[in-house]
Amino acid sequence: MLDIAGRTAAARQRSPLRRPGRRALIRAGVVVVLFLFVLLALPQLLSLYYIDAMTQVVVYSVVTLGLGVLVGRVGLVSLGQVAVLAIGAWVAARLLFATTQPYPLVLLEAGVITMVLGTLIGLPALRLRGLYLALITLMLAGAITVVLTTTNFPNGGHGLLGYNGATVHIPAIRRPAIAESDPAYYRYAVVVAALMFLLVLAHIRTRPGRAWAAIRQSEPAALAAGINTWLYKLWAFALVSFITGVAGGVLAGAVHYLYSINFPTQDSITLLAVVLMGGAYSLWGAVIAALLLQLLPALLNNWGVSADWLTILFGIGVLQVLLTAPRGLADQVPKDLARLGRLLRRRIRRPAPPEGDPA
Amino acid sequence: MPSWQDFEPFIVSGLALGGVYALSGVGTVVLYRATGVVYLAFGAVGAMGALIAWSLTNAGTPDWLAWLVCVLFSGAVTLAYGIVFGPPLARRDPLVKAVATLGLTLILFGLMDLLWTTNGGQSRAITLPTDNGGFTIGQVQVTWTQVIGLAAGVGIVVVTTVFLRYTKLGTAMRAMANDREITATLGVPVRRVEAAAWLGCGVIAGVAGLLLADLVALDATTLTFLVISSLAAALIARLRSIVATFLAAMAIGLIHDLLTPIQSLSNYRDMTPFVLAAVALLVLSRHRVMTASREEA
Amino acid sequence: MIEVDRLTVRFGGVTSLDGMSVTFGAGTCGLIGPNGAGKTTFFNVLSGFVRPVTGTVRAFGEDLLSMVHYRRARWGVRRTFQTEQAIEELSVFDNVAMVHEHARLNGASRRRDVLGAISFVGLGADPSATVGTLAAGERRLLEVARAVVGRPKLVLLDEPAAGLPDEETRHLAEVIRAIPGHTGALAILVDHDMSLVSACCETTAVLDFGKLIAAGPTAGVLRDEQVIRAYLGTAEVS
Repeated sequence: MLDIAGRTAAARQRSPLRRPGRRALIRAGVVVVLFLFVLLALPQLLSLYYIDAMTQVVVYSVVTLGLGVLVGRVGLVSLGQVAVLAIGAWVAARLLFATTQPYPLVLLEAGVITMVLGTLIGLPALRLRGLYLALITLMLAGAITVVLTTTNFPNGGHGLLGYNGATVHIPAIRRPAIAESDPAYYRYAVVVAALMFLLVLAHIRTRPGRAWAAIRQSEPAALAAGINTWLYKLWAFALVSFITGVAGGVLAGAVHYLYSINFPTQDSITLLAVVLMGGAYSLWGAVIAALLLQLLPALLNNWGVSADWLTILFGIGVLQVLLTAPRGLADQVPKDLARLGRLLRRRIRRPAPPEGDPA
Repeated sequence: MPSWQDFEPFIVSGLALGGVYALSGVGTVVLYRATGVVYLAFGAVGAMGALIAWSLTNAGTPDWLAWLVCVLFSGAVTLAYGIVFGPPLARRDPLVKAVATLGLTLILFGLMDLLWTTNGGQSRAITLPTDNGGFTIGQVQVTWTQVIGLAAGVGIVVVTTVFLRYTKLGTAMRAMANDREITATLGVPVRRVEAAAWLGCGVIAGVAGLLLADLVALDATTLTFLVISSLAAALIARLRSIVATFLAAMAIGLIHDLLTPIQSLSNYRDMTPFVLAAVALLVLSRHRVMTASREEA
Repeated sequence: MIEVDRLTVRFGGVTSLDGMSVTFGAGTCGLIGPNGAGKTTFFNVLSGFVRPVTGTVRAFGEDLLSMVHYRRARWGVRRTFQTEQAIEELSVFDNVAMVHEHARLNGASRRRDVLGAISFVGLGADPSATVGTLAAGERRLLEVARAVVGRPKLVLLDEPAAGLPDEETRHLAEVIRAIPGHTGALAILVDHDMSLVSACCETTAVLDFGKLIAAGPTAGVLRDEQVIRAYLGTAEVS
């Protein structure tokens, strides 16, 4: 049984259950405010260099979200999510060059095709035990990387692969008409990402989410409870492949030109590292993971520091997470804040003890 | 379809490559059986050792010393990892233990890129003196390095089989592969046996790193992720049988190189280990039913 | 009634069950034996996690082994595990409701059935509390509640009292004894606590090294020489 994501501490739930609606409302409010800030205000404040970095953050936050669902919610480790992202990008680029379909449709198609491929792979692969599933995703990712290096990404050419090796002038992958500029495309990406997050949330809060929780806890027990574990695992694979495929489509438009060198095998490993560090279980963890993955390197690059230090940091991070905090850093932050909040509340409610009394 | 003569040199290179894959695969399997850890940093540690050897020879160190340092380095790093991170993770799921080694992989990978940046254009190479000598079989040139590659693969199978069956340490490792807890209660110095397994695996990684750097390329990324190919052989053998690992590795090496002269497939030959491993895993486990008790795959 | 006929399980060179043939009649039946005798393997066969090499199991006239594992819960097989498997992040209610939901039972009666199961086992905790806040004994009761909700046909209890203090074990014994009457199911109890087994089970079967060495009324079985020898005299028989 995978215990990377760990067992849930009920720390959050230990606080009294009165007015749960109020707290949920406040939390939702914070999320909305943050979202609006990120959507509207942020692009005004940042330079183009950082808008570009943040667009990458947004794209990868969907990828880390997907991996987080697999690792943190269902208990499956995939070492090939970057290959899935590449497939989504490939499909989107091909469609964008070959057709004049509107962008949302292309994204949807990229998501669906990637989902179908992910499901086909999942059908046999999900029978394997955790370790072997992880290794087989590594194998498949390796295979996909080889194929992509050979077939290359579409660049406006004709034929099935849409790759023209001879062209000197490669056309750029187009963007939606309403989002041609970088800040506008960033906003477009934020909206798409938000929709993906909502889609995942809808799953987590309903029956699949509960089934996944059961499967992660103990697959035998889930089976004994009548849950068709294989089906729910496949469902998770399908969902994650879909959103990663859509993210790939957004990535295609963001970078304009796709090269197989942008999707190296080690990225799948760093992806897992940051997801573990950010916290595989929570949705916030996905955002933190994406910031680690795409914003930090941009910052370091700007300051002239090699991004290799980050790779080393992520390696150390993986070891630290696995040794100590199975839920990842993002979960420690809310726990500590919650503890602090309770401490303050207790101080406020209780009158100060009289002199001489132990506290 | 290319002629037999076109294939001949690739049979030789395939056997050599397969031999080194077997070396890596067997090292991985033995360590897994003794500790439950799939050592995914195998390639990275060998790669860094090879790079260190390269730097040393460039700085004037005699070749044999540089190679010795490479092997010692790989052994030392692997041993250190095993001693520090082995015990605290010992009771965790094999998946957790494997992912932990990915942490080591990242650390080494970052270090390698930092210290040996790929300055565009200048490619590094390791040449072993055995590259120059050789003999001819029919129309094909065979270098001593290739012989060493094949010999290393065969040799490791023989050595480990004998070691595991006839030495005290080997028997202890086999016992631990079965059940670590019970072996500990029998008075076997579990930590020391594990340390020996880690060290042995690290040394093998260093040797494999040197050979692969010579036979394939001295490039951090290539060598680090070549471990995936040797892992494929171990996976086909279900991380169990050493002989099966050898046979799978030879098959992978041969098929990979034999695809080179076939125009339509040549570009895809790097997929060989992945495809073979994926197919093998899926075929071999199609009858498995999920168990609640401890069972090997 | 559960009829087991020549059940044999073999993996990795070990024969966990060797031609086990026994009939479990109505009520609560005990299944005992020294460690490694095959009791959990037997449960795993019933749950569908392990495929036997040969043998059949007929449960209430139906061939249990031909059912896909996750469908058996729908049919009516329920099980508790040696280590609690209650889902920590969900509430008590949701944990029990999930079993009800996946057994495809009528959604309209779900609330009533779930609360009924919770009160049957005597779990006093707030149904909306998360499992993480429960004490060990309460978690065990929750496991049993999950096993009795809805319309179970076969309830498998795998060492439900392990590690519990005497008082809680006594309460558990009463609950287990009441299961057949309350649900109409057949219950099989695996445990090492002989006093629990003799308190709950009218009949008991004994496994040793995968073979059935005794079966019949509990009191007689516990006095059987072969059984005592199998345990090397370490069993406490009340």
